Amino acid sequence: MIPKIVLQLKGLNKSFGGLLAVKNVDMLVNESSISGLIGINGAGKTTLMNCISGIYRADSGSLDIMGVSCLNWSPHDIARLGVGRTFQIPRIFKRINLIDNVMVPALNDNTDNKTLYERATECLDKVKLYDLRHNNAEELSGGQQKLLELARIMMFNPRIILLDEPFAGVNPTLCRLMIERIKELKEQGKSFLLVSHDLTSIYQLSDHIYVLNQGQVISEGNVDYVRNDPEVIEAYLGNA
Amino acid sequence: MNTILLLNGLVGGVIFGAIYALIGCSLNVLCGVLRVVNFAHGEFIIAGSFLSYVLLTLFGLHPILSLPIVTIAFFLIGFGLYYLLIPRLAKSDEPETSSFLLMFGVSLMMIAAMMWIFEADIRAVEFSFDPINVSLLVIQDAYGEGRDGRVIVPTARLVALGINALLIIVLTYFLYRTLTGKAIRAAIMNREAIQIVGINIHSLSASAFGLAAALAGITGVVLAFVVPSIDPNGGQDISLIGFIIIVLGGLGHPVGALIAGILFGLVEQIATVFLPQAAAQMLGFIILITVIFVRPQGLMGRMTLR
Amino acid sequence: MAKSGTIKPDDFSEEISAQRLKSSLWYTIITVLILSCFLVPLQDGNLSFMFSLMMWVTLATGINFIAGFTGYMPFGYVAFYGIGTYVTAILVKVLGVSEYLAVPAAGLSGILLALLFAPTLRLNGIFFAIVSLSLAVVCQRLMSLLPEEITGGSHGLNLGVATDRTHGYYAMLIIMFVALVSASWLGQSRLGKALKAIRDDPDAADAMGIHVSRVRLYAWIMSAFFAALAGGAQAWFTGALDPITAFDVLITAKTVIYAMAGGLGTIIGPVVGTVTLVWIDEIVWQQFPVLNNFLLGLIITLLILFMPRGVVGSLMQHFPHLRKYIM
Ligand SMILES: Nc1ncnc2c1ncn2[C@@H]1O[C@H](COP(=O)(O)OP(=O)(O)OP(=O)(O)O)[C@@H](O)[C@H]1O
Ligand SMILES: [Mg+2]
Repeated sequence: MIPKIVLQLKGLNKSFGGLLAVKNVDMLVNESSISGLIGINGAGKTTLMNCISGIYRADSGSLDIMGVSCLNWSPHDIARLGVGRTFQIPRIFKRINLIDNVMVPALNDNTDNKTLYERATECLDKVKLYDLRHNNAEELSGGQQKLLELARIMMFNPRIILLDEPFAGVNPTLCRLMIERIKELKEQGKSFLLVSHDLTSIYQLSDHIYVLNQGQVISEGNVDYVRNDPEVIEAYLGNA
Repeated sequence: MNTILLLNGLVGGVIFGAIYALIGCSLNVLCGVLRVVNFAHGEFIIAGSFLSYVLLTLFGLHPILSLPIVTIAFFLIGFGLYYLLIPRLAKSDEPETSSFLLMFGVSLMMIAAMMWIFEADIRAVEFSFDPINVSLLVIQDAYGEGRDGRVIVPTARLVALGINALLIIVLTYFLYRTLTGKAIRAAIMNREAIQIVGINIHSLSASAFGLAAALAGITGVVLAFVVPSIDPNGGQDISLIGFIIIVLGGLGHPVGALIAGILFGLVEQIATVFLPQAAAQMLGFIILITVIFVRPQGLMGRMTLR
Repeated sequence: MAKSGTIKPDDFSEEISAQRLKSSLWYTIITVLILSCFLVPLQDGNLSFMFSLMMWVTLATGINFIAGFTGYMPFGYVAFYGIGTYVTAILVKVLGVSEYLAVPAAGLSGILLALLFAPTLRLNGIFFAIVSLSLAVVCQRLMSLLPEEITGGSHGLNLGVATDRTHGYYAMLIIMFVALVSASWLGQSRLGKALKAIRDDPDAADAMGIHVSRVRLYAWIMSAFFAALAGGAQAWFTGALDPITAFDVLITAKTVIYAMAGGLGTIIGPVVGTVTLVWIDEIVWQQFPVLNNFLLGLIITLLILFMPRGVVGSLMQHFPHLRKYIM
């Protein structure tokens, strides 16, 4: 069986002034799979994600999400196509409580308040933030904010999820919890693009890995292939 | 005849433009280093005029001689005000907008204080230069036989222009050649990095605040040369012009403000020659709004602020 | 699916009763306010004072829609108020329209002006504040430039005895009531939640599928609408206006201070802040007319430095259990 492609990038370019942050990137994400995206600091991972989710305007290339060509659409339109994301530096709504935070992506849904509320509490419970549900988000620690972002994505329930460094600053136990949740979501048919510097988790989770260096894909393939690719070792781990 | 009007407009434009340039430049030093837009700038300027007025009426000190006193006094006030007001701002939810409101509060207090001390009426600053006017250019028989057209400028305005030109040169030299000036420019470009390099951002910011206040004070004295009457309520109009200049020149971009100030002065003065006064005043706002929608980073600015 | 089972079964009904508690407290306050305002003319009370109280409550609630819920600080908020006074006065004086139609028309003119100014919402932070302020000045200059037969030029218009103060007073009362009810609706609606999300992080809200510019426009329009209505009622009540006072920046300033002192972003805050400060203004400050503006400035400065979230906001920040009661 040929897996269904949910997200496809072709020849994507993005520059900041003279600096080419993303260079001619091609990428595929299959349904119900996790694609890892790794690369040293400044490789262009976050920029790539911002281009996909519409926060940055790409210079050229094409983006296809579930058959819809949608490069440079506005972020909310991309979101409504079924793409959710988290941010490298957590972007939570600090002056409203956790329940309202989690509810934000579902505000347009046609569900009644009760269902919405119950789903929100469930999502919070899944990341162990239920007890803090009435607190304002600004009262959370950095790691808890990462968890809140994950809960928000679960509430969002998109087909494609872009995760930018979800594990950074989260302690090992909760990290394992997050990994569990990600696997669960994948089982439900969600597709992921996962950026992380935590190679162990990436290797454990990913079905396919892209390696970015100076904005270019220098290697891609399954975990074993990428792990042993001399070019990756050179670029990513080399000279250390 | 139109040529004479136009020439008069041009001369006026350069004179006012230099003042606007100075106003914009000092606003932008603040805005660049501290991300504070000083709503009270106009009141600082009026306060500068008043200080020189007081020195003139009480001690008979000629305004030119009061310049150093005003400079030092305002620098110290600005320096102190920084420590009183700004460090706490960083904690608020929206520092930029809060700074605007904060300085608005300061401006209300300053207006009230000046109204209390000087009462609501407009004071005339009485001093003179000899000769009172200088005729820059004579066009013979411009208005018919024997009636020459002249481009006449009050000496005080020429002196003001001279002081302004000197200040602008000194300021540019300071910003581009001296260590503190370079540090200020570095802080405008990257506030975070400068702390890593080991410069004390607080004392630098306080100096920037002091510098901006001192410049405002000087502008006040110079303004009294150009328009020799002081209105305690006039600050807001001056601030508004200042905002137009800094948006035109680019927020946080001192040299951009210099150029924008002179351009704006020219446009405004030439417009007063050909349009009714209220319309000429509105011209500034219309330019501002157009620029903001067409080129929000200002004429020369890059998008430095978020 | 692994469920940790810590969720309380009756969580939602608890939430609903908490909401009810909040609303009943809030509606008690509204009722007291409305009733006391309603009774004043019947008892020969201080009509002007109560009128201005209601006007400031409306304005503070109105600015809260945009400043409190979306984080935009419109320094030219007075433009909407001013346009409302002018539209009412022109309709009544020049076209002979009844006040009952003129004031709603003023509200509509506020909406139109808000739509005209809507592109400014693309700007953020300080740019927005400066441009908004400039637009108010443009409106002011425009009013004094227009032909005297229409706007009365720089002298303004005088409606004279054509208007009935008491009717203007009750018009203001109704406007305030509608504003407060709208605020309470917004406080509990999904629109309100979306707005607060936008205030805290517009980009993240956008990425969560919220049409930021559209939602923000709703708040902007509501804000403008109530300011214009308040201006209209003001013209009706006082029967005179001129460009300087109708577009005075001090009106924006006071509105912001009152709303902020109570707490922008809460529903109750602007009302509490306004009622308190307008009373203080009446009782204390009027004794020192010269110092009036000085105190105003001082209060803004102190508020920004020490209590940027206002009384209600700070209470909620420092005593989390109060959040149950405050809307
Ligand atoms: N808004 C921006 N303006 C200018 N340059 C930018 C901007 N965002 C990113 N860059 C540049 O683009 C390049 C890629 O940055 P990006 O944030 O995508 O890296 P990254 O792979 O996510 O790194 P990290 O692992 O540190 O998160 C960097 O050189 C960065 O300096
Ligand atoms: Mg990154």
